[in-house]
Amino acid sequence: MKKIEAIIQPFKLDEVKEALMGIGVDGMTISEVRGHGRQKGHKEVYRGREYTVDLLPKLKIEVVVADARCEELVKTLTAAARTGKIGDGKVFVFDVAEAIRIRNDDRGDAAL
Amino acid sequence: MATPPCNDPVRALAERTALVDGMVERAAADQLWPRFPAGMALLAVGGYGRRHLFPHSDVDLLLLIENSRLGTDTRERLSAFLQTLWDAGLRLSHSVRTPEECAEIHDRNIELNVSLLDQRFLAGDRALYANFAGRLPRFLHAQRDTLARNLARLTRERHQKYQDTFYHLEPNIKDTPGGLRDYQLVRWLARIRDVEALEIEPAFLFLARLRCFLHSRSGRDNNTLTFDAQEQAAEYLALPGAAQLMRDYFRHARDVYRAAVRELESSEAQNSSLFTQFKDWRTRLSNADFTVARERVHLRVPQGLEADPELALRLFQFVARHGIRPSAETAQRVSAVAPRIQEWFATPRPVWPALKEILSLPYAAEAVRGMHDTGVLRAIFPEMAQIECLVIRDFYHRYTVDEHTLVTLQVLAGLRAARDPAVKRYTDLLSEMEEPALLLCALLFHDVGKAVENGGHAAASLHLAEPALERIKMPRPERDMVCFLIGRHLEMSAVMNSRDLQDPATARHMAQRVETVERLKALTLMTYADISAVNPTAMTPWRAEVLWQLYLSTYNELTRELETDRIPAALLESPEKRAFLAGLPTRYARTHSAEEIDAHLKLEGVYRQRGVAVALDKLEAAWRLTLVTGDRPFLFASVAGTLSSFGMNILKAEAFSNSQGTVLDTFTFADPTRTLELNPTEIDRLRATVERVVLGRLEVRQLLQHRAKPAPPSRGSHVHPTVSFNPEASDSAALIEIVAQDRPGLLYDLASAISSQGCNIEVVLIDTEAHKAIDVFYVTAAGHKPEGEQLEKLGEALRRACGA
Repeated sequence: MKKIEAIIQPFKLDEVKEALMGIGVDGMTISEVRGHGRQKGHKEVYRGREYTVDLLPKLKIEVVVADARCEELVKTLTAAARTGKIGDGKVFVFDVAEAIRIRNDDRGDAAL
Repeated sequence: MATPPCNDPVRALAERTALVDGMVERAAADQLWPRFPAGMALLAVGGYGRRHLFPHSDVDLLLLIENSRLGTDTRERLSAFLQTLWDAGLRLSHSVRTPEECAEIHDRNIELNVSLLDQRFLAGDRALYANFAGRLPRFLHAQRDTLARNLARLTRERHQKYQDTFYHLEPNIKDTPGGLRDYQLVRWLARIRDVEALEIEPAFLFLARLRCFLHSRSGRDNNTLTFDAQEQAAEYLALPGAAQLMRDYFRHARDVYRAAVRELESSEAQNSSLFTQFKDWRTRLSNADFTVARERVHLRVPQGLEADPELALRLFQFVARHGIRPSAETAQRVSAVAPRIQEWFATPRPVWPALKEILSLPYAAEAVRGMHDTGVLRAIFPEMAQIECLVIRDFYHRYTVDEHTLVTLQVLAGLRAARDPAVKRYTDLLSEMEEPALLLCALLFHDVGKAVENGGHAAASLHLAEPALERIKMPRPERDMVCFLIGRHLEMSAVMNSRDLQDPATARHMAQRVETVERLKALTLMTYADISAVNPTAMTPWRAEVLWQLYLSTYNELTRELETDRIPAALLESPEKRAFLAGLPTRYARTHSAEEIDAHLKLEGVYRQRGVAVALDKLEAAWRLTLVTGDRPFLFASVAGTLSSFGMNILKAEAFSNSQGTVLDTFTFADPTRTLELNPTEIDRLRATVERVVLGRLEVRQLLQHRAKPAPPSRGSHVHPTVSFNPEASDSAALIEIVAQDRPGLLYDLASAISSQGCNIEVVLIDTEAHKAIDVFYVTAAGHKPEGEQLEKLGEALRRACGA
């Protein structure tokens, strides 16, 4: 099993969700995060004051899937989240040791 | 699982009580009475005592005993008796007390004290019971203040646990505010105070039916109305759907909650007479229509409402001005004449001026809540009736639509007390609003269209609002603003969720939609209030940041537009102005008012005659030096050094130069020792010194030699200096940001370093946070953006200057 953690532009959420549902992934965790990578932040001028926007609002999507589905999911996700500009985000893939469904103790892929 | 016939809950509860009575009596007859023919009595207390025994409620028993010392044999007998009942499936909750112990008032005894209010004899020693029951009324009367206080405290604690609101998505219908416990509280407090309880029987019947259903559904004492349970309960009660069930629930819970709060307030008022006397100074707020007593507004002539329905509006103007709520009696009177008020306002009348005043006053949110609770708001705007207790049934919307509307107003009012800088900027926005009443009015109507099924609710709300606003004779321009806000109230959140905020097209799109800065500000605040009022955690810092960025980029887009619209017109005014403005960075025009530009133009005239012009102005908590002169190397550094030599602390500085090489520098500085204030002659000396330095007649180094070196900063407050470049910030200049320990002369040293590298300072922004100086320089070299080796050398020089 793999856990896919993606940091994406907030306005891309709907597209990404639809694309993932399109390939049959319907469970995911979404959180509002702030941070920056190479995009750094930028400065805005407001009434003569420089206003630094150093932490940019992003969304984090987390999904756990069976190994065999990982590549397809990453491809679909990146395609949907891409604008080609700086700030599009990143995808991280982790190995997952075990998954357990609390309700009935299903384990492994069956718990996903 | 058989569903009990809960259509007549009172009968069902009484039947269950009778059944349990029989079980208890039989068990007692078998186990207790043969051994204890006297000296012990069984009492039903709490819910069991008042014959409100729900299918799986606890059965509260009080074993009244004559002698507090129980022998081992007695204990064994009692255990056997209780075990029999346990085995029969009853959830027992029992206590063993002597009559004296029952009358003890202390913290651990509160529940028992309260449960005695509903005591009932079951079986046992009648004489013992008669003795106890004979003393009970006297005890209750003597201790009524303490009892009421304890009850009120427990209730306040319980309400607090549920955030003091009856709006919960999955309410516990017993414990949440407005639940069955509050219904009991109303009856208990009324009994303790020996007054008649407020009439809330329909709410009790509804809640009791629901609780019966919940108990039999889950087979235990489960009182949580979960989403699943809501679906089933709606079916069971033959209601069209769960949304309707919850609408009914909130309506009843609201009645119970209001009654409970009113009873609590009455008891607390009786208890804290000293405190209220102290607060009665407010009576001097009384006027021809109203008196104020005990923190509440009363009508002088209660019958006046019939003849003069606008008295109701004046009442709420009074509330909005002073933040004092109407007394319970006043509120009841107003509610009672609501139909008359509605009739009065059905004819188009100029209500808007009075309403506008209410919405402009400091306690507008409280006043509007009062108008809503008494039915006055609905009487003026029958359109509002459709959203009363209307439920948006999902995991996101915490409140009914009418409550959400009231919460939006509270959110805006709450902004006034904001401390968090991320929230504070919205407070500033609100204080900049010319007509906040229009924003509040738009919020009142923004969701009235939610009851309409088809199409978007913004359009439906607008459709309902337009005739209503016409009816109250709101003038056209104000109506346009309100209608704009209602119709567009979803647009900013839509853009926040679906557009790239970094893309200039997003700002352009938003700017086209709002057209003016005033509208943008109002719509931003409206969006802020609307999101915040969905549920208590909906406005995350994350969202607040996204909304602010959208505001910022749109604001800058709009002001940029203003610039292209306005400046050319201004340019035509005079050739001098045209020449002066030409080549100044666009930021200059954006950040200075027309008056300031005129003042600068006058200084430029002085400069032309004398080679230098200096103005010194006293600001709120600082001074400002404005300098106009011809550009030359080390100019900015020299002035900064001169100010430091006078002991001034530079807070902010800006440097601009136009295409003719005229320089406009402004320095905002603090005068920590109040030299200028206490010695007016120093003002002239400072001005003259700056002029001499600028004209090259005085060396700034000499001035600085006489200043004592500042003490080295203590280790704890040391700021590690950094020099960083941002190559992307500007196309024409290098942006250098320097963070360093603030010290006198720092700006002079930094500016000198830049000049010594043959660079020119285009714009400077200085900020200080405690001991930390944050200086941003936009630097050019021979009119170009310095790059490569030159930039590296510049960086080295700056690092040396600030000790990095």
